[in-house]
Amino acid sequence: MKTMKRLALIGAAAAMGSAVAAQELYTPNLSYRTGPFAATGIPLMNGQRDYMLMLNARDGGIGGVPVDFEECETGYSTEKGVECYERTKDKALVTQPWSTGITLQVLPKTNVDQIPILAPGYGFSPMTDGRVFQWAFNTPATYWDAMSMILQEISGGDLASLEGKKIAHLHLDHPYGKEPLPLLEALGAQYGFEVLPIPVGISEMQNQSAQWLQIRRERPDFVIMWGWGAMNAGAITEAVKTRYPMDQFVGVWWSGHSDDLQLVGEDGKGYRSISWSLPNDDAPVMADIREHVVGAGNSLATEEEIGEVFYQRGVVISAILAEGIRVAQERAGKAEISPADLREGLENLNFTQARIDELGLTGLMAPFSTSCSDHAGHSGAWMLQWDGAKFVQASDLLQADQTPIEPLVEEKAREYAEANAPWPVNEACDG
Amino acid sequence: MEGLKAVLVDPFADMVAAPDFLLQVLWEGLVSGVLYALIALGFVLIFRSSRIFNFAQGIMVVFAALTLVGLHSAGLPAWIAFAGTLLVMFLLAVVIERVVLRPLVGQPDIILFMATIGVTLFLVGGGELIFGGENKVMISDALGMPSGAFEFAPWGGFLLLEARDVTVVVGAVAMVVALLAFLGFSKMGRAIRALGDDHTAALSVGISLSTIWVLVWFLAGIIALMTGIAWGSRAGVSFALQVIALKALPVLMLGGLESITGAIVGGLMIGILEKVFEIYWGQPLLGGSTEAWFAYVLALLVLLFRPQGLFGEKIIERV
Repeated sequence: MKTMKRLALIGAAAAMGSAVAAQELYTPNLSYRTGPFAATGIPLMNGQRDYMLMLNARDGGIGGVPVDFEECETGYSTEKGVECYERTKDKALVTQPWSTGITLQVLPKTNVDQIPILAPGYGFSPMTDGRVFQWAFNTPATYWDAMSMILQEISGGDLASLEGKKIAHLHLDHPYGKEPLPLLEALGAQYGFEVLPIPVGISEMQNQSAQWLQIRRERPDFVIMWGWGAMNAGAITEAVKTRYPMDQFVGVWWSGHSDDLQLVGEDGKGYRSISWSLPNDDAPVMADIREHVVGAGNSLATEEEIGEVFYQRGVVISAILAEGIRVAQERAGKAEISPADLREGLENLNFTQARIDELGLTGLMAPFSTSCSDHAGHSGAWMLQWDGAKFVQASDLLQADQTPIEPLVEEKAREYAEANAPWPVNEACDG
Repeated sequence: MEGLKAVLVDPFADMVAAPDFLLQVLWEGLVSGVLYALIALGFVLIFRSSRIFNFAQGIMVVFAALTLVGLHSAGLPAWIAFAGTLLVMFLLAVVIERVVLRPLVGQPDIILFMATIGVTLFLVGGGELIFGGENKVMISDALGMPSGAFEFAPWGGFLLLEARDVTVVVGAVAMVVALLAFLGFSKMGRAIRALGDDHTAALSVGISLSTIWVLVWFLAGIIALMTGIAWGSRAGVSFALQVIALKALPVLMLGGLESITGAIVGGLMIGILEKVFEIYWGQPLLGGSTEAWFAYVLALLVLLFRPQGLFGEKIIERV
């Protein structure tokens, strides 16, 4: 029955594709529903897709123009991601690359093609510097924000207390996994704690016994995980097997998927994951999605998935894009906008609590705003904790300490611009 | 001098200083090795009887495990779901023989290899359409696999053997023994071996090619199911499992494509050596993650001296 439903939806999607009118907001998503990372991708993509479908069904799109939310499957492969970018760029208002590796590859191209990259909570952290990365946006928080907040949390708010301690950085051996290392190593040098990078190759994601034997031998005080897809489940099961104390094990926001923790259930109790979004089934937007998309039989998500962190984070990601489009339409004074208009919209996001409530996103995200020079917004994040059955909020809203981050952003952004010279820098951008 | 000491002395000093840890490393290597050997066995069985390098073996592991979990979640008791999965793998073998292999009899090996890539893509697409791509929990408990761990204190240290890993090792050994007995003593098993030794001679004495192909693909399907249960009970069932098929390639290079003994010895060697190298040399000296390439380098070294692998057949052709 489920298979028939999927086939019917695919057929309907194909029919819709051929009947799409010329007037539309084409927002392709470089999705990864297949391959080793599909477990992370599917709920995120479903959340993104359902929010856009809901806008089309409820409001007729954004500003009266329907959204064409097409997916191009990458399987999280950088090569396929670049192909998808090339295939969609002619009509695209935005590109959503969904992998730090793909983001790094298309970053120089978007500067030439003048298409905004929207990489919510991922990508190259210095992209927050809008003067250098004029077309890239990593709202609402960067990986360096995540690392800063995790360190604050495990140090009880005082990084000096980490002096003499050993922190393992268990990460996917991929640009994504290495992304927070510059900040972690800089803070380690500054506060006197030892950093132990532990890479996990893609072919070892499901069998991390060597990495966890190293953890057993080195006895780190904390393990911070930058895992993706199947790596998360592999690490969590090995941590349980090794009997590593779960309250000393913290993951980034892509390492906080309920399905991965379900494998160990009660044994995973105490594991934490930083998250810039919160699950909230009572948010009005969730009711709208249930009414207009799920109720109409157009969602690909399961009922259980809809209540989980990743699906609802996907909803927030599309809500950020939709708001960028709305702001762009207002500023341009027209409903059919260009990629350049959208860039201006994404540079002028202002998610106040009132606006969040107005959009029905209450309890799902924290307020933030962007500007010409700040393309992230640094919304802060919460710590979620696995209670044995589900993730629950375990902290108030945390904020990254930008003092060590800002000079590092400036340095790495400058290095990037010099390495890719001639690289246009927006000197006029002052706020 | 310091570098030489780090390579030649320190690792062995570490092994002596913490022998319980060394035992743990060897055990983890053994478990990995058994699992690598299982995957390699699936490749070898099909190659021996048909000279087809079955690219689809990795996805067959995923497909079998997903079918088992899917049937159980549809309400079937675990062992009925297990039997149902065996039936599905048998039907898959029949369909592959009828639809893919039979029309290609007599074609060059590379064509048959490409056909198995097609089977892979079909199973990936079909599997995702039917079961979805989400990570699923293997039904280890329902199948009666024990949980918990055995703890030992050798030399006053600490050694932990997961009960599930012990079950996997024992199960794999039992399966290999059964397989060897089947190949050695049953009529059909001898027919498989005969086909592997000489196709033309085997066909001339009345051995049915299509029957044997269905049989070996079914046996490969059974091995895939056992492998899927073993790996899936460790870190869940997802399409990431197909990546582990990559681990079988160096095992096959090392052990030889035609040799069941080679698959077993090669798998165990790679499992244990890559773990020991990673822990005592890779992590301290090379920053870790050496498992991604160690097995290939080892296989390459063996191929330099024995191009047919450790147990492969030496082929001499007249030119």
